[in-house]
Amino acid sequence: MSRRAGSQSGGVPWPGGVRAWARRHAYSLLSSLGALVRHPLATLMTVVVLAITLSLPTGLYMTLDNAERISDGWERLDTVSVFLDAEIEERGAVQLASLLSTWPGIVAVDPISPQAGMAELTGRLQLDDLAGRIEANPLPWVLEVTPAGGQDVETLSGRLRGAEGVDQVVVDLQWLERLSAILALLERLAVLLGVLFAVAVAFVIGNTIRMDIHNRREEIRVLALVGATDGFVRRPFLYSGFWYGLGGGLAAWLVVELSLFVLSGPVGRLSGTYASDFTLASPPWLVVATLVLGSGILGVLGAWLAVGRHLRAIHPS
Amino acid sequence: MSGAEHMVRFEQVAKRYPGGIQALGEVSFGLARGEMVFLTGHSGAGKSTLLKLIALLERPSRGRVLFDGRNVGRISRRQIPWLRRQIGIVFQDHSLLSDRRVFDNVALPLVIAGVAYPEIRKRVRAALDKVGLLEKERMYPPMLSGGQQQRVGIARAIVAKPPLLLADEPTGNLDPELSAELMQFFVSLNELGTTVLIASHDLDLIRRLQRRVLVLKDGALADDVPARQVAAP
Repeated sequence: MSRRAGSQSGGVPWPGGVRAWARRHAYSLLSSLGALVRHPLATLMTVVVLAITLSLPTGLYMTLDNAERISDGWERLDTVSVFLDAEIEERGAVQLASLLSTWPGIVAVDPISPQAGMAELTGRLQLDDLAGRIEANPLPWVLEVTPAGGQDVETLSGRLRGAEGVDQVVVDLQWLERLSAILALLERLAVLLGVLFAVAVAFVIGNTIRMDIHNRREEIRVLALVGATDGFVRRPFLYSGFWYGLGGGLAAWLVVELSLFVLSGPVGRLSGTYASDFTLASPPWLVVATLVLGSGILGVLGAWLAVGRHLRAIHPS
Repeated sequence: MSGAEHMVRFEQVAKRYPGGIQALGEVSFGLARGEMVFLTGHSGAGKSTLLKLIALLERPSRGRVLFDGRNVGRISRRQIPWLRRQIGIVFQDHSLLSDRRVFDNVALPLVIAGVAYPEIRKRVRAALDKVGLLEKERMYPPMLSGGQQQRVGIARAIVAKPPLLLADEPTGNLDPELSAELMQFFVSLNELGTTVLIASHDLDLIRRLQRRVLVLKDGALADDVPARQVAAP
């Protein structure tokens, strides 16, 4: 290979060409890692603070994510109450029940007699002698209809209303709507907290870098004396910020996974009592990647803020 | 060939520090390319200030300092590194990094320039060999004597082969024998083409070397003795 007459030494922005640039970067990268490794305890403390800070919004996000998955399951379990005409007796009710259970979109039909309805009502209202005080049971037969998953409940209830012998169809979705409203509120809260905590991470790292700069004042001075550019002086600190952020993000991920592991036992027992096989989901890869890289970028940002201010103080005016 | 015949030129340069202390007033002289000059004077005469103005460690209050034909006072902050890479500086206080090995301290100017590691290794060891400290390359500066640290600083100043070498009392901490040896080393550097300006008050040594001498007194140039007039002891 023939070597051309080297790179132009006059080029101020990239003196020495791309390879020299790469070498300077490699040096900054290694020296930033070296600086962190030389003070393991201080580095660890910063990373732990960042991990806890980052794990809070991530944990909240995961809680909501899991809660949404549960409530998706609930929606499918929701039933439609079909009140039959008052004159329909047991035989008619059972017939209609078996007819409806053949409809597509319906999983199960459960007939509830007026007596059973009354018993449930008295129990719920804590009026033990209600049945005694009312001469004739005014309640009609009720069919509890369980829609199939994916079935649009509104359409189904429309068709049920049209069926013969049906007086009223009641879909009680209000509590589900409330639940999803609460979840939406909490989600917004998670976003808000996420933003606040992201700012906190940038400032924690910025402050750590500020102290690093203070401790390495002499080094910065000497580097400037022997002809280092601002970029060269700045770069190790930016890398340090990135490492802090990356470490904090990874540790936060670990904290979240550990918490999920610790909670998985109790959650399993709880969902067991509801005859559900619900398990807590780990954060998806996209969330992990956003967490880790995002906090790395926040670290660079924080470091940039700290270094910019201090570099200006170093050079003679 | 560059148009400027002077490596360094001072034109009515004055430096006043904040607080009103006048370090230099109306200093004019030229330093030819390839010349070796001593700068002498009592302490506080402005020797260090004069050196600092060349490397832009300080900016002049008045007048012009030209390096290679360029007005140093006009150089923007971004271009300061370019200037400093043309100048090797030996500092009175050594200015070494105490938590870096001798090798890494000497390597700094090359690392900053982005030189490849094998080349760095070769040149750092050559520089350390010249100042007689090759066997100390793995030590840290605080483990060395003052004189040895001074020599590490010299190795760092010459490792990138700058066209101009400035030295502020380079033999301040050395015994006479070592001082003479180091001065001889500067002479040999100069003979290879480096322009050298050394601030020193070791008059015996200066006389023996028979080079041009600038004498500063109270911030003004009191005398400019050409090499042939410097009397041998």
